[in-house]
Amino acid sequence: MAYLSMGESHRRITDYLNRFADAINYQDGDSLARLFSVSSDSPSLLSLADALNVFQDANRLIKQSEKFSQFGEVVAPFFRSLQCYRLGNLVDAYGAFEKASNAFIQEFRNWESGWALEALYVIAYEIRVLAERADRELASNGKSPEKLKGAGSFLMKVFGVLAGSCDLQGKGPKRVGALYVTCQLFKIYFKLGTVNLCRSVIRSIETARIFDFEEFPIRDKVTYMYYTGRLEVLNENFPAADQKLSYALTHCCLSKEANIRMILKYLIPVKLSIGILPKKQLLENYDLVEYNNIVEALKRGDLRLLRSALQENEDQFLRSGVYLVLEKLELQVYQRLLKKIYIIQKQKDPSKAHQVKLEVIVKALKWLEIEMDLDEVECIVAILIYKNLMKGYFAHKSKVVVLSKQDPFPKLNGKPVAS
Amino acid sequence: MLGLHTSGGYPSSGYNNQPTAWNNGSYANYTSYQYPNYTSDTSSAYSSVSAPATYQQQYKQWPEYYSQTEVTCAPGTEHLSAASNSNHGSSLPTSLPPPPPLPPPSLTPTWRPETSSSELPSMQPGGAASGAHDNYWNQPAPSFQTHLAAPTQPIYQNSLDSKTSYENFQELKTAPQGLNSQYPVVHQVSQNYQSTLPTVPSFDARRVSKLQIPTNPRIASNAALGIAKTEKDSYAANSAPRPAYISVSVQKPNDKPTMLPKSLRGYVERAFGRYKDDDAKRAACEAYMKDIITEARADGTLYTRDWDSEPLFTVPDSLSISKAYNKSPVRRSKSRWEPLAEEKMLEKPVSASNEIGKYGSWDRKTFSGYSATKDNSLSSFRFSGPQQRTPSKSAQRPMKRQRIVNGTGLTNNDDDASSDSDKEQSLTAYYSGAMALANNPEEKKRRESRSKRFDRGQGHRPDINYFKPKNAGPANLYTRRASALMLSKSFDDSANQAVEDIDWDALTVKGTCQEIEKRFLRLTSAPDPSTVRPEDVLEKALLMVQNSQKNYLYKCDQLKSIRQDITVQRIRNQLTVKVYETHARLAMEVGDLAEYNQCQSQLQILYSEGIEGCLMEFAAYNLLCVILHSNNKKDLLTSMSRLTPEAKEDDAVKHALAVRAAVTSGNYVTFFRLYKSAPNLNTCLMDLYVEKMRYKAAVCMSKSYRPTVPISYIAQILGFSNAADENGETELSGLDECLEWLKAHGASLITDNTGEMQLDAKASSSTLYMPEPEDAVAHGDSSLAVNDFLARTT
Repeated sequence: MAYLSMGESHRRITDYLNRFADAINYQDGDSLARLFSVSSDSPSLLSLADALNVFQDANRLIKQSEKFSQFGEVVAPFFRSLQCYRLGNLVDAYGAFEKASNAFIQEFRNWESGWALEALYVIAYEIRVLAERADRELASNGKSPEKLKGAGSFLMKVFGVLAGSCDLQGKGPKRVGALYVTCQLFKIYFKLGTVNLCRSVIRSIETARIFDFEEFPIRDKVTYMYYTGRLEVLNENFPAADQKLSYALTHCCLSKEANIRMILKYLIPVKLSIGILPKKQLLENYDLVEYNNIVEALKRGDLRLLRSALQENEDQFLRSGVYLVLEKLELQVYQRLLKKIYIIQKQKDPSKAHQVKLEVIVKALKWLEIEMDLDEVECIVAILIYKNLMKGYFAHKSKVVVLSKQDPFPKLNGKPVAS
Repeated sequence: MLGLHTSGGYPSSGYNNQPTAWNNGSYANYTSYQYPNYTSDTSSAYSSVSAPATYQQQYKQWPEYYSQTEVTCAPGTEHLSAASNSNHGSSLPTSLPPPPPLPPPSLTPTWRPETSSSELPSMQPGGAASGAHDNYWNQPAPSFQTHLAAPTQPIYQNSLDSKTSYENFQELKTAPQGLNSQYPVVHQVSQNYQSTLPTVPSFDARRVSKLQIPTNPRIASNAALGIAKTEKDSYAANSAPRPAYISVSVQKPNDKPTMLPKSLRGYVERAFGRYKDDDAKRAACEAYMKDIITEARADGTLYTRDWDSEPLFTVPDSLSISKAYNKSPVRRSKSRWEPLAEEKMLEKPVSASNEIGKYGSWDRKTFSGYSATKDNSLSSFRFSGPQQRTPSKSAQRPMKRQRIVNGTGLTNNDDDASSDSDKEQSLTAYYSGAMALANNPEEKKRRESRSKRFDRGQGHRPDINYFKPKNAGPANLYTRRASALMLSKSFDDSANQAVEDIDWDALTVKGTCQEIEKRFLRLTSAPDPSTVRPEDVLEKALLMVQNSQKNYLYKCDQLKSIRQDITVQRIRNQLTVKVYETHARLAMEVGDLAEYNQCQSQLQILYSEGIEGCLMEFAAYNLLCVILHSNNKKDLLTSMSRLTPEAKEDDAVKHALAVRAAVTSGNYVTFFRLYKSAPNLNTCLMDLYVEKMRYKAAVCMSKSYRPTVPISYIAQILGFSNAADENGETELSGLDECLEWLKAHGASLITDNTGEMQLDAKASSSTLYMPEPEDAVAHGDSSLAVNDFLARTT
């Protein structure tokens, strides 16, 4: 930090205060938003933070004139937050920021129009990011991280303010901000692993009459669909997950490759589960190579490949929550394997192709270095028939799978495997 | 003393009010000392410190008392007085506790104050309306003080209450409730009460007429409901917080001698029953009773006399009055133990009438009535009674306040008053002390702030918070326990209690119990160190349970008590882990999932604190539990992602993961193979899923197999036969079991031409069903059905 004179510090602080007052007076939401974005590390805010650390008595400046002092409750804790942030004390930075945000929400509540929504978005974002960083700091000090939880309840309050503003004036201008806050809440809940808390927010978004989903900004809609889609993946409700994630994918801005990748990360396992395989190009374009072998295994009926692919990326799949979904693809791999045996038999002797001996399947699995005895394979076959991945029946006496002559291996065609 | 007994009538209602009178006195005193600001809030003055302290004093006194009585076998009054004096300072012989076999005094004192307070609304306006107070404005303090002395007895009684056993409660319950209803009983019992009877109606009548004076119709109608009702109400309300008292009674030395004949005990109970709501009387009665028993012992008629037909005696009021004074502090402290339930009743009236002026005038009024008539007129005594009672709530509180701040000094003052003649003097000292306190500016401020709260009609709820800070770091066990009790009590009533402020370390119990075996009883109050086992004993207890041949119910009970002792002593080490592991395993063995889950969640916390244990084994159990019983995908993913690479190499964990895979893919063959090869107690958890898995398998097979499946195959695949050995007998029994199972689930069976039983797959596919579990119970958990449970565990 270069040396900063008292006068320069004074100038910078007054400058910020002037900007702040102007932004509110002119109802300039974008400018106001910029003034709040602590974690953006913008040069102007960083220099302000340095100035604050030199010029310790900023509160005096705020109180000096009526123009500034009316925002004192917002600006004073914000300055403290900025100072702490600059000094790397994130826990205190979060605390002060929450205080400032609370004061801001009080003001925001009183403003008729939604001009300050942009600023509110920044606050909702900052509070989450600061809370995450504060928690990291707390955890590294051996304390229990609890700030993100606090940020969650704060955002719930903000959500209440936005939703509540509509009740009074029918369709209030602020309601469109609700989805952004919802998405921030989703991020917090997913991070905390308390996804069940999403349910109440979702219910109010989807059932409350004040909200018209189409009205929300497209950005928020995509995020919302992404998270609700992920929730459906967890519930293994594949058609719904497909629908939500597909919406997110089709509406997502094409330039946001990272976002598209995140959506695909969940959409691909969902599509695989309903029997739709992605093109290799897609996986490569979005750097989703972890799915390469899984797709390949499905194509080839290579159980060994599927298992090794799962093993390889187990941690990653477990963390993202798709492991259980991918594991279930095993049945489809068996189906593919049986289909291949059937095709080979058909080439040899079409008249006996629909009878597959259990021994043959055991032998094929052995080639894949998978040791399974007759009983186990018999069980797999029974399950395949039961789940309608294979038409036919199993004759226990002769240990033979008797396949239906018409469409013995029905395709899923977008329908999930029967449970 | 005997002379005194014969002299008095039975001013029962009068006695009830005496505490009030006393309080009024003190209150009046304040005003005369120019303390009009001494509002009811001072009241709030509950002495957090003094309460436990005084209690403890009493408590200490008892063991000695008992031991002495046991030695002498005849509670000599002199002897006792000596004992009590040594312990307590200077208590009058007359105020001594009853002989041990007597039922401890009933709990009436605790609810009586409430009764009076509940009447507060109705009575106060009456007093104000009477307007007589002006005359008494300048009434000299001494005249009060004579009356004031009376209520102190109940205070002492309160201390006795702490020793009241539950049986006494019962006894009380059956006794007629309410003053008026009690009279007839008294009458029947003793001739002496004849004189009191005529006064009853007059008393009532007068009371009612008096009550009708008030200009406020609402309050008047309120009052017309009568004392009996309010008392009943308050009594009922009091019954709820009883556990607190019971818990207190637990701590008392329970070597209550039982050497007295049963008939005598009955006699004593009868005697006390009459005074169940009259502390002063009962105390006097105690003393008298003691005399009777001592006498009987002396002339050898203790065991020969027909106590059942022995006439009951009367207690003279003068006696109780004289006695009463000495123990005043105890009562104050005890008042904090009063159930809070009634406070609700109070709230409105208090807020409506908490103007000081009203109180002042009212107090004086009641006193006038009392002092004017006290000399000879029972009826007037009685009449004044109810009125005096009314302000007790507000008036009582100032006294409590003083106790807080003046703790020991006050007790000394009271103790000084070892005789009636000393009374005045000591009272003066007492009040001057109180005054000095009141003059303290800090004190004033506190009172003001509290009076604000009082204005809000909060009763003493907020006051409860006052003892909290003072509880921190109590000097000894009993005060600590007492304060813990108070805390637990206040938690119930004030949700806004700041839990963080409590010094839990100071409240942590260090057990002294040496018993290895202990039944589990859910705590309803702070734990008693004498019933809590220290760590070394707990270790023995755990060993005992582990080696016990008894059934699970017994072991579960024992383990729960061990867990409780560990928890209250905040022991968190390997022993804790061992106990929870042991219990978890036992619970698993019998399929007690609820208990298992409790242990498992505790274990996870303990392991995460770095305490060693069978981490892998329980990680496997946890996985199995999530997979098989909760079926929460999110939990499963978290549990799996938390497994360390070492954990994944562990046999038990590997097995659990394999089970998971088998379950998610529905692979019944693998599942039942794993079932047979399960390490540790994994089988037990899988047991609970077996039925489901078998059913799924049966459905699957009936759909995919044609035309038939041999039963022998099904039995083998679905784990019916113990395939471990090829013994034909085992095979057969497994087959039979399988047959039974299939039949029970609606499978259609046929016999093929070789005579082998077959499952008709096609027919079965539409007829299979999940039968209602035979041991289904209404609450949905068959393991809770005791009969079944016993059958399985024995």
